[in-house]
Amino acid sequence: MEEYPDELRNPPVALISLVGCPEHHPAISSYLHSQQHPINVLALPDFSKVPVVLAKKVKDSGSEDPPGGILKRDWLLKHRTKIPALVAVLFSSLDVSGGPTQWLQVCSDLENLKAAIRPRNVKLVVVVVLQSSSAELHADGNNEDRMIALKKRAEVDSKYLLMYTPNDVSELKQSLDRLGNVFSELASAHYREEGRRIRTKVEKRGYNFPELHMRYCFKVAIYAEFRRDWNEALKFYEEAYRILWQMVGTKTRLPPIQRIVEINSVAEQLQFKISTLLLHGGKVLDAVQWFCQHNVACRRLVRVTEAPYLHWEWMSRQFLVFAELLETSSATMQSISSFVVGGTDRTLTEWEFRPAYYYQLAATYLKKKQSSLEISLSMTDNSSEADSSIDSVVPSTYVGQFARLLEQGDELSMQPLSDEQYVQYTLAEGKRFQDSYEIIALLKRAYESYSSLKAQRMGSTCGLDIAKEYFFLNNYVNTKQVCDDIITLYRQEGWVALIWEVLGYLRECSRKLGAVKSFIEYSLEMAALPVLPDTSITFLGFMESGPAGLPSLQQREHIQKEVMELFGKDSRDGLSVEKSTDLRLTEENPLNLEIDFVSPLRTVMLASVAFHEQMIKPSVSTLITLSLLSQLPLSIQIDKIDLQFNQPQCNFSIINKERYTSTTMISSVQQSQRMENASSLVLTTNRWLRLTFEIKSEQSGKLECVSIIVKLGPHFSIICRAERPASMDDLPLWKFEDRVETFPTKDPTLALTGQKATQIEEPEPLVDLALVATGPALVGESFIVPVTISAKGHDVYSGELKINLVDVRGDGLFSPRETEASFLDGHHVELLGIAGAEQEGKSQGSDSNINRIQQSFGLVSIPNIKNGETWSCELEIKWHQPKPIMLFVSLGYSSQEKDSTSQKINIHKSLQIEGKIAVTINHRIMLPFRRDPLLLSMVKPFNDADQLVSLPLGESNVLIVSASNCTEIPIWVESLSIETDFISASSSCCIKPGSGPESTGSTLLVAEEEYKKVFTVKPEVDSAPLSLGIVCLRWRRDPGHHEPSTIVTTKHRLPHVNVEVPTLIVSSECPPYAVLGDPFTYFVKIQNRTPLLQELKVLLSDSQSFLMSGTHSGTVFVLPKSDHVLSYKVIPLSSGTQQLPKYSLTSSRYSAGFQPSSAASTIFVFPSKPLFKGANDRGKNLESVATI
Amino acid sequence: MIVCVAIVGHQNNPLYIQSFTDGDDALKLHHVVHCSLDVVDERVNNPKKSGPMLNETYLGLLYPTENYKVYGYLTNTKVKFISVTTDLDVKDADVRNFFRKFHAAYVDAVSNPFHVPGKKITSKTFAERISTIVKAFGLSSAG
Repeated sequence: MEEYPDELRNPPVALISLVGCPEHHPAISSYLHSQQHPINVLALPDFSKVPVVLAKKVKDSGSEDPPGGILKRDWLLKHRTKIPALVAVLFSSLDVSGGPTQWLQVCSDLENLKAAIRPRNVKLVVVVVLQSSSAELHADGNNEDRMIALKKRAEVDSKYLLMYTPNDVSELKQSLDRLGNVFSELASAHYREEGRRIRTKVEKRGYNFPELHMRYCFKVAIYAEFRRDWNEALKFYEEAYRILWQMVGTKTRLPPIQRIVEINSVAEQLQFKISTLLLHGGKVLDAVQWFCQHNVACRRLVRVTEAPYLHWEWMSRQFLVFAELLETSSATMQSISSFVVGGTDRTLTEWEFRPAYYYQLAATYLKKKQSSLEISLSMTDNSSEADSSIDSVVPSTYVGQFARLLEQGDELSMQPLSDEQYVQYTLAEGKRFQDSYEIIALLKRAYESYSSLKAQRMGSTCGLDIAKEYFFLNNYVNTKQVCDDIITLYRQEGWVALIWEVLGYLRECSRKLGAVKSFIEYSLEMAALPVLPDTSITFLGFMESGPAGLPSLQQREHIQKEVMELFGKDSRDGLSVEKSTDLRLTEENPLNLEIDFVSPLRTVMLASVAFHEQMIKPSVSTLITLSLLSQLPLSIQIDKIDLQFNQPQCNFSIINKERYTSTTMISSVQQSQRMENASSLVLTTNRWLRLTFEIKSEQSGKLECVSIIVKLGPHFSIICRAERPASMDDLPLWKFEDRVETFPTKDPTLALTGQKATQIEEPEPLVDLALVATGPALVGESFIVPVTISAKGHDVYSGELKINLVDVRGDGLFSPRETEASFLDGHHVELLGIAGAEQEGKSQGSDSNINRIQQSFGLVSIPNIKNGETWSCELEIKWHQPKPIMLFVSLGYSSQEKDSTSQKINIHKSLQIEGKIAVTINHRIMLPFRRDPLLLSMVKPFNDADQLVSLPLGESNVLIVSASNCTEIPIWVESLSIETDFISASSSCCIKPGSGPESTGSTLLVAEEEYKKVFTVKPEVDSAPLSLGIVCLRWRRDPGHHEPSTIVTTKHRLPHVNVEVPTLIVSSECPPYAVLGDPFTYFVKIQNRTPLLQELKVLLSDSQSFLMSGTHSGTVFVLPKSDHVLSYKVIPLSSGTQQLPKYSLTSSRYSAGFQPSSAASTIFVFPSKPLFKGANDRGKNLESVATI
Repeated sequence: MIVCVAIVGHQNNPLYIQSFTDGDDALKLHHVVHCSLDVVDERVNNPKKSGPMLNETYLGLLYPTENYKVYGYLTNTKVKFISVTTDLDVKDADVRNFFRKFHAAYVDAVSNPFHVPGKKITSKTFAERISTIVKAFGLSSAG
């Protein structure tokens, strides 16, 4: 599009001319330029220039000669830049209203101008430039007359006589607007008149030649464009275009080739104009359809057989220009699909609205031009002699015509060319241009455009064309780059023929670039492509298949042979691939080709590895099957296969005996590895080569086959990633082929489930780990759990014992809620230490032996234990709370000395241990028998629930402490004592053991047995509350046959008591026993401890068992600090345990009643006087007991 | 005249491609068929709003190259049929009819119990049947 002249590319703009007063021209020009419909200005400073500009060639209109051409090259330019539609003449108001000489000058200028513009039919506007204010002008009557005279002289309508006031800003704007309106009105009138004039010529058929008809139509269209009447312009362009094609057959004075070239050039211009108008008008659909018609018409055009390249070049330009036009107006094309009309009338498709399509076709035609130009050039070798004659060929005055410029003295003259000369000229021109670069540029634009449309396949085709062009230019680096990009898509979609073609280029480029690796890769991929013998018939028609040749089995075999020769030993003898001497594999330059899971070379070599067992024991051998598959057309002899595992000691090699012995490259490293021999290692097309070997590993864990290295020839090997048959991807490309598919292993189950890795179990531990616990643990004691390790099969090295205490309930050893309460106590169960291990740890000095003990976790390193030996230690665990725990002990060790890499063997043991409370301690405080003090706190009880027990001051109270064994384990109670916890206690309270016989030594308590001890408590100071102290029980577990266990002290705090002064003390006295019918006296003694007189009501109820004398009821008064005794004589009437007559006392002062308990008022009645041995002593004793 | 027919599978891989030219443009036809898949994609991804196109298997003219016209057909199992003609003026009904026959032949070929779905069609009977259909199309469009 750029090669078109400006006047063609841009729509025409009206042109006017300004004459006179040159100082005002810039202002007016810039104003007119900035208008919505701009007007170009031809500024002529003085009047003398006007006739020169408007000069018209004298035409012999009546001549019958045919015109020299269709369109004149400079006609449009002339109208756009030289011939104005109107001339605006500027006179200064001073001149107009000045003296006679000035006026005369004005008149003569005007006359000359009128004469000059008349033949061109150019309009005239007279502008008077006001030098002073307008008021001055109007006031002057003289001026009025002058203006009328001026109008008359100029022969213009009064509205075309304008005032221009440059000095006043507001006036200036108005006058400029006025000028603009008048100019555009007149210009458009001028173009309309001109158009109409020529149109009448067309309508009246005032022409003799189709050239003129066409030219008139063109002119009408241009004039229409001048006044922006696009529809009329379009109509006449189309008309011109139609006429043009009718001229194809007509004879002219031009020779045939040049005639067609001229028509083509004009058609091109018309087509450009039409397409531009349609596209700018938003009629994309029309534009495309028009271009399609144009395209069809072009194809029908008679081709010039002598110079076909001219046609192709022209065609290419048509597409290029349309593509560019489409691209510039692509903003208006938001939705392509809306243009593609559905239904029957679908003649246009999506791509025809895309510039890419046209760029691609432009490139295609240019390519055709290139090839036909080459043919033409090769046919004319005598171009050198003709060079001189065509040197001076230049475009002539008509569009699409060329002529020779001859210099005859000073004059230049055009000489028409003969067709031969013209062809020579075009050939010489063609040679000057490198079409390839142009083609690449076009294709790149198409490629980018398609890529942006996500039309990958179209893009790839363009890419391939680019690559071909680069290849043609011997630019192998670029070819390779482009091909590498596009082959991915073809591989993905499995278009074998296309892959073949691209690979052919890639292979050839690699060969040319001397890249051995890529050459081999591409060759092998090509050789392994699924081009099968029966389908090759389809491809017989391939002629332009590039350097790859025809895709056929023979070609594949040929390619494979070529590559194999490169691997082979022969390459050293110089018998390498004949064409590529620089492609060679040597010892210094060996090649390893890696094939991974996504490589396109999987078709060349596919390696599948399957272990026959998924889990094996260490040192036990299992079978492994290696299967290789190749799609190469010829069989391959493999020299050696290396299998590599993640455990390098398992690696082994398989050697082809007959081939490998000849080579002497077994290095020392390889010798140390396992070698297997195979009688023949030949890989045939699409047949699995299955090899099964034994394999074993000492090391536990995963054993995985990583890669398989297949050695072909001395310097070439293929490294395949091992694939597992269970989830192997299909072979690329071949998966679409209808081929025989077999399993990689003989066993079909293995083929479906086989894995390339196996799990090797841990070695069996030959060590005993014993944990013993003797029954439940007791809270408070250090519970001992012996741990015994005995080696029974191998030695134990660098062993480590891990001990964990875990709550059975699984929530740790202390729950979060308890944490706060027992924060200071720490854990409920605590690992105190490990006896037997610490000594070892210390004896081994500062070795890096680990010996750490935490509250619930312990880590102990154990010494080396020889086979058959035992080692033991004792875990010391203390329970603070009764809780069951799980004790986990795990031993990790290695069976090899000084072998850090060997696997650790682990044994785990666990033991649940209950924690129990050994003894529970209870206590009871009692008052002396039959002696009841009245304590005021009892009379007025407080509501407090936690009211303390009150003890009467100065009385001896009885405290019974009992400890009961609540476990099944017998325990020995060593002692039970009460510790007072503060010094003053000794003075405030007297606690001493009861007067019973003191037990010496320890007492055995079996399950649920109770141990009791009696204390007397005598508060001596009236202080409340009073602490009684802590009961300390010292006990130990019954050791049984074992060594004596340690003594544990269990403490129990006694509650605080109140000490009160009793007001009244009532005590009853009677003998320890009675004899039936034997009377005795029953005393009730009332002690008043208060300094007040106490009034008491006494009430005595009868008892059936006794006959009684004394007051039954009455009131007694007890004097302060004195005693009162009531005495009753009683005769028992029945024997056995009998209830004494019950008395009750009521203190009126304290409103407190008193009634002795039934136990206190019970007495045993013997039927007759018992006969006791030493009855006197016993009676004394009984008495003493009773008075406590 | 039909110069090439092709069946293209789900992964846009060729299942069957056969050209009927004596010339040297078989490879070019491969490219043409491959490129036409872009248009099929475009048509499938941007379906027309007009109603009758909704369940239409016949895709119509896919794109014109300088010498060929490419027509497409999409089965409901998303298998694409492509045909390349050299005629510049072909009746739509003829092409539809051709594709219907082509589709029937394909259905018969893949119904063969020995055919593995997704693999190339190698049946000779199918190839013969296709060339008969192609010849018949040439006669009908010429006449």
